[in-house]
Amino acid sequence: MSPSSRQRARRRAGTGRHHAAHLDRWHRAAEIRDEWLRAALHTEPADRETAERAITGLYALLGRRRPRFHWAASPWQAVDLLDEPPIRLGGPVDPTAPWHVAHQLADVAHRLAGRLDERAGPAGTFWWTTERIARTRPPADALAAGVSLAELLVVGVRDSLDRSVHDGLRTPLRAALTEAVGEPPGLRWHGQHDAPWVAYHDVRRRLRPGLFHPDDDRQVDLWADIARSCGWWWPREDVCVVTERTGVAHTEALPGALHGEVRTHNRHGPAVGYADGWGGHAWHGTAVPAWVIEEPTVERIGAERNVEVRRCAIERLGWDAYLDQARLALVAEALDPGNPGCRLQLYELPQRVWGTPARVLLAVNGSVERDGHRRRYGLSVPADLDDPVAAAGWSYGLSGEQYARLLRRT
Amino acid sequence: MELTLEELTDRTGLTVLDHLERQVRIPVVDGLQAQGDLIVIPLAVLDDVEVPARARWRPVPPSGVELLRGAAGGNPHTLVAEPGAAEWTTEVRDRQRLAVGVLRATRPAYLIHPEHGGSGIAPGTYLVRRQRERSTQRGQADFLVAD
Repeated sequence: MSPSSRQRARRRAGTGRHHAAHLDRWHRAAEIRDEWLRAALHTEPADRETAERAITGLYALLGRRRPRFHWAASPWQAVDLLDEPPIRLGGPVDPTAPWHVAHQLADVAHRLAGRLDERAGPAGTFWWTTERIARTRPPADALAAGVSLAELLVVGVRDSLDRSVHDGLRTPLRAALTEAVGEPPGLRWHGQHDAPWVAYHDVRRRLRPGLFHPDDDRQVDLWADIARSCGWWWPREDVCVVTERTGVAHTEALPGALHGEVRTHNRHGPAVGYADGWGGHAWHGTAVPAWVIEEPTVERIGAERNVEVRRCAIERLGWDAYLDQARLALVAEALDPGNPGCRLQLYELPQRVWGTPARVLLAVNGSVERDGHRRRYGLSVPADLDDPVAAAGWSYGLSGEQYARLLRRT
Repeated sequence: MELTLEELTDRTGLTVLDHLERQVRIPVVDGLQAQGDLIVIPLAVLDDVEVPARARWRPVPPSGVELLRGAAGGNPHTLVAEPGAAEWTTEVRDRQRLAVGVLRATRPAYLIHPEHGGSGIAPGTYLVRRQRERSTQRGQADFLVAD
């Protein structure tokens, strides 16, 4: 037995008392995580005084004086206040550029994270066996099965908040900003949407007071104050553009989540938005353009290139409404080979709507969704196909006779 | 012996979504089978596909070969097999231009996907293909489905 596996065996053989203590600390960690998730979803106006004081504290770490603060209602408006040349990647960093301060700050944050990880131990290194357990079993089971508290914090705090906040909130905002202004000016921080990394370190130090050096604790406090008090911010030479907090943030529980993960979803407007009305849209966790939620039409669906966006738009409209509004005529239907009890339906697509002759094949997924239903989905197929089985075959480069031999679909 | 989805995920360390039935046995099939936007086709069924004699075959490791990822970057289709059970090559000429690669298995191999679960593939040689859609915009070629 290698020293490391002996160590793991000892840990697994740990007494019930140790397990209970770890479980208590895990419950505390989950409370702090949820506190941070609420901060990321916060929709009250920014606490400007706290934000300005904390950002000034970070500038002081760089030996710089308090910048002027420009407050913007949303990231979209913030971009307007930033009049700066594009950042060149790969070249030497220009110390006279207005965003040089942001480079320095990134360096400070990077070194801080390095020191904190050094003090807390290498929690990010997993054994593949325990990682699988940590990611697939409820926390109490995972601890009982030998997952360490440190590993559980990575999965249950850092990754959980990454999923909810980065993937959930930041992604639709970033997509909307890119759509509105092109690639947004880089080197920014995300305030409340930086909760994941701040929370991870905050949890570790609150579980083990004194873990970090007092200077580092003070710096974590600054980042934490910012994440609790404002939205996205762009530190620049002598000036800092700071965004208000989100005015709306609609989420739903991520089905099957073990660590309180949420996903963005709003069928009536922006899922994440600001008081000025600007925001990003999402359909059950998928970032989508505004029209998908606000004004899904058969024409737009027909013109949309991204199949995932098209799926969301049709689901928003509803398949039945879509078929009705698009006035699609059923050409033929047949049982789907390999997918017992499910039908393939071939519909005519009117050329005046879709611009080119085509038909749509409506099929049913081979596996159930999280809600227990099977998703119906549509695929465009060539207009000269009359047989749904041949149309399904065509989508895989097969003839109807070949596809008819399908034994199983999942 | 057919594995259950639970046994398969335990052996490979890969995960599937919680709502899938884990105790269900995964049939090992020697014919056509589809897993979402991928399909596994016995090579003998096809006459428009050719694997060059000089193609390099790589063993399919127990940790798996990731064949294709979904649109949002997640949800990969992963091909797994016991050590020495299967080989994989991407050097294949497919007139339909839908080939992902060719699998040559002497013992069962499996495709795993977080939403679609597992597909068992019997010993044999198979082409794995993607799914396509006809573009509804004039002048554009067909495009590949990414679910």
